[in-house]
Amino acid sequence: MTDRITTLGPNRRSVLMGGAALLATPAILRAQGTAIKFGTLTPLTGVGGTYGPSMRDAAVSVFDAVNAAGGLLGGSIEYVSEDTQTNPEAAVRAVRKLIDVDGVSVVLGTWASSVTTAVAPLCWENDVMLFCVSGADSITRLPHMGYIARTQPNSVLQIQVAGDFMLRQGSTGMAWIGPQTPFAQSSIDILAGQAEGAGIGMESLIYEADKSTYRSEVDTILRSNPDFIMLGGYAADSTVVLRDIWQAGYEGKIMGPAYAVNPSVLDALPDEVTEGVFTWEGAPAIGSTAYANVQAALGVDVVDPYSAQTYDHASLAVLAAAAAGDAGGSAIKNALRSISQGDGTEVSDALAGLEVLASGGSVNYSGASGPCDFDEIGDITGTQFLFNQILGGAPSMFERV
Amino acid sequence: MLSWLFSVATFAGIYALLALGINVIWGMGGMINLGMAGFFALGAYASALATTSGGLPIPIGLALAAGLAALAGGLLCRLTLRLRGDYLAIVTLGFSELVRLVAANEIWLTNGSDGISGVPGPWRSELTPFRFNVLSFALVAAAVVVIWALTERLRRAPWGRALRAIRDDDTAAAVAGKPIRRFKIQAFALGAAILGLAGAFYGHYTSYIAPDIFRPLITIYIFLALTAGGTGNTTGAIVGAVAVVLVLEGSRFLEGWTSVLGGVQKAALREVFIGVALIAIMQLRPLGLLPEKSPGPFLKRKSR
Repeated sequence: MTDRITTLGPNRRSVLMGGAALLATPAILRAQGTAIKFGTLTPLTGVGGTYGPSMRDAAVSVFDAVNAAGGLLGGSIEYVSEDTQTNPEAAVRAVRKLIDVDGVSVVLGTWASSVTTAVAPLCWENDVMLFCVSGADSITRLPHMGYIARTQPNSVLQIQVAGDFMLRQGSTGMAWIGPQTPFAQSSIDILAGQAEGAGIGMESLIYEADKSTYRSEVDTILRSNPDFIMLGGYAADSTVVLRDIWQAGYEGKIMGPAYAVNPSVLDALPDEVTEGVFTWEGAPAIGSTAYANVQAALGVDVVDPYSAQTYDHASLAVLAAAAAGDAGGSAIKNALRSISQGDGTEVSDALAGLEVLASGGSVNYSGASGPCDFDEIGDITGTQFLFNQILGGAPSMFERV
Repeated sequence: MLSWLFSVATFAGIYALLALGINVIWGMGGMINLGMAGFFALGAYASALATTSGGLPIPIGLALAAGLAALAGGLLCRLTLRLRGDYLAIVTLGFSELVRLVAANEIWLTNGSDGISGVPGPWRSELTPFRFNVLSFALVAAAVVVIWALTERLRRAPWGRALRAIRDDDTAAAVAGKPIRRFKIQAFALGAAILGLAGAFYGHYTSYIAPDIFRPLITIYIFLALTAGGTGNTTGAIVGAVAVVLVLEGSRFLEGWTSVLGGVQKAALREVFIGVALIAIMQLRPLGLLPEKSPGPFLKRKSR
């Protein structure tokens, strides 16, 4: 009995005393110096692991290019990469390390909406700017005081544009099939509204992700005889759903987001399965310097929308810091819209922008993913949309609106 | 840096609570509960909803979390009394997926996969982020100490002895007149309550919960922690949890030590390391770093 009490005592006492002593120490023990530090927080493993590595490489290529050309604000950019593991719990631990240990002023590249929502409060509480590619409408409605900017069109806009497209293609019965995500229900509601307005039918089904077959789900949705099916998932489950739809003998039209029907899906499936599938995305600026830079950095012909966006995150952060003369989080936050939109010289990569800023001019950055203009809550505006059709296993341009 | 250390220590404390809860159910009671994430989620959601939509103070949220998880644990145990080993593992895993699916799909209650943001933390708005980390650590550490003392006391008590007897051979224990059903349900409910409490702490600390957080990944981490620390050993559960968090967080610094590893390789290496660590521990110290010992000098003196 006495044994137990003596082992208990020191534990409790030391914890309390330690806690008290540390509460008394000054809060500013986080020596950060003047180094410019930016962090990438992309999904390197987990469900988003098909996107995260190239997202990171695209962003890092900007920092490397700026450093090679003489750096930023008289110093060089240090960057740190962490992994969200596509899991909000792991992402919170990762962003803690980026903020508290590395002292980054910018976190860029969060992908899953739940991850972005989880790390966002830590960013705005610690004066860190967060650039994300997540689509959930709720994200920019968080009380973020300007610390969130997203380059992905929000899901309402994306679905409206896609629904209009389906109607323009003469759909007489629409269907939506996808996993439970923050935008699943709103996607269904929007499509249902559009279908009702056009006086046609609309069927929807939310499935559980990570299954090896969706045959029964596909059969359920085909029972309503749709002639245009929209996919609501990501690359991994879209591969399976496309295969199952094909095996079910469906002959109507299909469309999916470009991030879901991406090159890896096209490689994994035979051409006849993907023949004629439509994809859509916020139109990347094909032909721009920025787009060419990402192509070169990643060694690919077709840049995925997310890598294009993280390239822009990095460029925007660099230019905002240069315009503000300060690489701190709040300086970048305040200067963001002065370099992303407005009457300044239009530039398409960070180096060109830095030159203009150095000569006293102002810039309007338009990057690899599009014009990169933000409204007051951090949503992207003025995005054009690109519709492609998969022909012979490769996307070919269908139309641009 | 210091702020980060407190935050890591807070996560370690939450992991330690989880390991202590699993230790009661699995370590002491011998019931494999792969549904840990489900009870963790139940507690997190109960407390988050009570303090956001319900407007109740955080201590009541914590009590609700523990109570609801205990109730669910007791019921689940009652339903699965006849199942053992692999079969119980499958059913409990199903339970945790069930909780996650309800959280993802019952949007009216849980806000679906958007999750619940803005979960209040104690004095969060008045404190600097650093001080909030210190306070959170102090509170979680206090909870770990209390739960450690409680479960250690139970382990040494006749109740713990009977539970071990049931774990090792329930027929023999039944023959000796122990009410097996009651012991199992009590142990499961108590363990689940601790898991629920950990969930509540998690929600109030990070301010955001969503169904994605409660995927089976965290269950694997905690079983690794308990196996490493020593199944059935309360101190071992804490040691193991701290060790797992140290590995998870420490591996972030690999990139700084060697320029060969980029971000992607480092992320992959961390997963490899966790797997290798588990294999190595099972090979070298199958009973964990701190193997379970028959507790109490009282017993030893008698046997001499």
